[in-house]
Amino acid sequence: MFAVYRELEGTAHLLTHTVRRLGVLRLPPVMEELVRQIYFTGASATGGIVLRGAFIGTLIIAYVIEVLAADAALAVKMLLWVVLREVGPLIAAVLVIQRSGTAVATELALKEISGEIASLRRMRIDPQDYLVVPRVVGMAASNAALTLYVQLIAVGGGMVLSSMMINVPLNEMLEHFFQLASPLDLVYSLIKSVLFGAAIAVVACYHGLNPGGTSINAVPRAVIRAVTEALLLVMLLNVIFAYLAYGTAFFGLVTAEQ
Amino acid sequence: MSAVLGYEPVPENELAERVWVDACGSHRVAVACKEELLAAVRELRPRKGARLVLLGADVGELPEAERLRLLCRVGFVPADGGLISSLNAWENISLPVAYHAPARLPGLLAQVRALLDELGGVEDSLLGKLPENMTLYEKRLTAFVRALLENPELVVVENLAAGLGPTKRRRVARFAEVYQARCPGATYVQLEESRGGS
Repeated sequence: MFAVYRELEGTAHLLTHTVRRLGVLRLPPVMEELVRQIYFTGASATGGIVLRGAFIGTLIIAYVIEVLAADAALAVKMLLWVVLREVGPLIAAVLVIQRSGTAVATELALKEISGEIASLRRMRIDPQDYLVVPRVVGMAASNAALTLYVQLIAVGGGMVLSSMMINVPLNEMLEHFFQLASPLDLVYSLIKSVLFGAAIAVVACYHGLNPGGTSINAVPRAVIRAVTEALLLVMLLNVIFAYLAYGTAFFGLVTAEQ
Repeated sequence: MSAVLGYEPVPENELAERVWVDACGSHRVAVACKEELLAAVRELRPRKGARLVLLGADVGELPEAERLRLLCRVGFVPADGGLISSLNAWENISLPVAYHAPARLPGLLAQVRALLDELGGVEDSLLGKLPENMTLYEKRLTAFVRALLENPELVVVENLAAGLGPTKRRRVARFAEVYQARCPGATYVQLEESRGGS
């Protein structure tokens, strides 16, 4: 119980530290770390997302039309709701946990064990300023960009592939899309994805900086804890957002008062 | 009594002896508690019960702001260089300056090249190398240049010649001379492990 409290306190501390110390991003070395993080988490991750996004979009349209015997309007509506609001941010978050969360936790744990963090302190550089702030900001921004990318690929790719595979005219789907799409959906998913990215980064940084040992064996343990807890936190945040948006959470077990 | 570098280990450590350097210049100090002393000098935090004196100040009794100021005045070079693995040699050398005094960055490359030449010269490619591609000598050289750019009044190094061939050993032996030529009146202390604690 005490360990859980310590972890919650530690991650909350890193988050507040990041918010308070955003100004350090002006320093050239910190800005370089931010650019590296955005390149690694955002730019170099985009390739893997194309196929996944397009397949998910196609699956949703195919299911709605074939299994539920619904029309193109309902299929596009489902696509918008599911992909824009829920699946887009979640897929991007899972991808970021899988690629960058593990990388950040490993890198920081190795830095801690090998004495690089102590070297930074020796140079009067606060490791939280130099390592945590750019990673949290970079992963939050990259996750938002990846979410947009997933949404674009899933919705666009889903409509294009569906028009080829299940014989629904593309122009009919596009027409429904422009009628149904709302900028609020996009804003909602972007806020979610920024928070998801920041949460993943804070958890990964916390476990990386506190590997729980001084031997190399502590590294995989830190990474496992980081991945497990980041996934849990993302799911928890998603439930909170669902509750705020739809007034219901945990499959209707928790409902907002009307 | 004041010292440039003084260390009194915890009384329970029977093998460890007191270290006391009270004159400037170049010194080789062999101690049984080398790792303990190195850790204390690296972070300026002596172990509980131990006493560390640097440039006349009792580190354990300094307030945090004074301790941070002292970090600028004391350079430290561990045997592995203590470099940041994700940064190349130039980024490692320039990191403290870029972080604390970015205005100094424009002329820094010329200063670094001059310093490297004074220390015996290296291949041009060194500055672009990551630590994983450097030799042990290059790592130590990079760390030493980084320490010297702060113009410290005291430099504490681990035995930088250990594990090197004769040519590189001769070059490392010049480090103290170059440092003292650049910072007259400064102190260079090389810490070595004494055998058997005697």
